[in-house]
Amino acid sequence: MPEYEGIVKMLRFFVQTKNLGYVDRIGNALNPGPVEVTLHEALRAFRSIRENATVGEDGRRYVEKDGEKIPVPGIPSEDEVRAFLDAVRSDIGVAKRVATLALAYPSRKEGGDE
Amino acid sequence: MFLSVGVRFEANVEALNMVETAGNYSKHRRVPYLVEEDGKLKTVYVPALSGENLAHAYQEHLAREALSLNLPVCDDCRRGEFYKSMNRVHLEKKVSPIPGEPAKIEEAIVKACVVEDVGGFLYAENPPVRRSSAFQVSYALPVKSMALFATSEPQLHARHAQMDSSSKKGNASEQMIYYVEIGTALYGFTFNLDLDAIGVSAITSEPILDENEIKARRDAAVKALFRMLSSAQFGAKLSRFFPVGGIKEVAVAVTEHPFVVTSPIYDDYILKTERRLKVLKDFGEDYLFTAATEDRVPEEALKETVEYLKQKGAL
Ligand SMILES: [Zn+2]
Repeated sequence: MPEYEGIVKMLRFFVQTKNLGYVDRIGNALNPGPVEVTLHEALRAFRSIRENATVGEDGRRYVEKDGEKIPVPGIPSEDEVRAFLDAVRSDIGVAKRVATLALAYPSRKEGGDE
Repeated sequence: MFLSVGVRFEANVEALNMVETAGNYSKHRRVPYLVEEDGKLKTVYVPALSGENLAHAYQEHLAREALSLNLPVCDDCRRGEFYKSMNRVHLEKKVSPIPGEPAKIEEAIVKACVVEDVGGFLYAENPPVRRSSAFQVSYALPVKSMALFATSEPQLHARHAQMDSSSKKGNASEQMIYYVEIGTALYGFTFNLDLDAIGVSAITSEPILDENEIKARRDAAVKALFRMLSSAQFGAKLSRFFPVGGIKEVAVAVTEHPFVVTSPIYDDYILKTERRLKVLKDFGEDYLFTAATEDRVPEEALKETVEYLKQKGAL
């Protein structure tokens, strides 16, 4: 699901920081309402975390959790969010797939900023 | 005897139950809620207080009331750290050596601590021992008819620190802005207390303590609830977000056997509860039902409850 990569990366960031609330709520949603509310909350929290993140020497943002440096990815674009919510409205299964991908081990090494 | 209380309280600009902090944003607990609008059902997200939150406050009051009646409370519970004898390290502070049989372990814990007697515990060792809580508390949720008016809103605050003259603009943290999400709603919750479970073994159903001590502990359990409601000392962030409002209504039912008042999230909960109780009376069960709404203050209803319990010999 490359078209929702930004959202997947953001949710994966929350998984890595042991905050599974957003990914669970999106993955378990039975109708589009909760997905929209959760995505809104996740984006709001993510923005706040990103602004307060440490900028490393390579210019990438990261947060430290239990002594581990976790890179903070970019904020998903407006177009991507809109496309995702539209897709969820016509098929709730899209939300489950995005959440599942966020829980999976990333297939390649990911950078922080982009 | 079984006590069940429905409470309605108005809280404006409260931060009683914050769930997480993300960067500089701290979020109020929210739950999905099913409401009817124009004949259609819809899910809305409303501010809420968890039962855990209310239970913690209740147990803090319980520890205090118990101590003021010279009843035992263990050191952990005294501090408001409710580990509840979860493992050997915590249990050994109360009883050493630790007995081998579950019933003996339960007896030792109940004797040593009123909070664990009333609030239950889980000793997760070998053998494991579990005691269910004698009190139950629901989430506090916005009253149904007004749920759509409930709201949560982030408020901007700033924290200042003295400026370091060497700090350059851009990396100085002399000011930090942060947001606290506040909730505003008319909330309702239910609190139940099984007085018969206090001081009695959950394993053998036999009393662990003598009658006088059991009565004193029930007294502490009832007083703790009344103190919590009367003082509005529950929830977090009271130091700067003490909710504006207060308890609007209470409805109390005291019955011989378990009976729960209709949830105060419904507008007709007092009437419904009364009708349900009347049916119970046909079965020959005695009860007390008292409510405080507009012209009666909650304390008056609570006092009537205590008097009834005394008259019935429960306290
Ligand atoms: Zn204790």
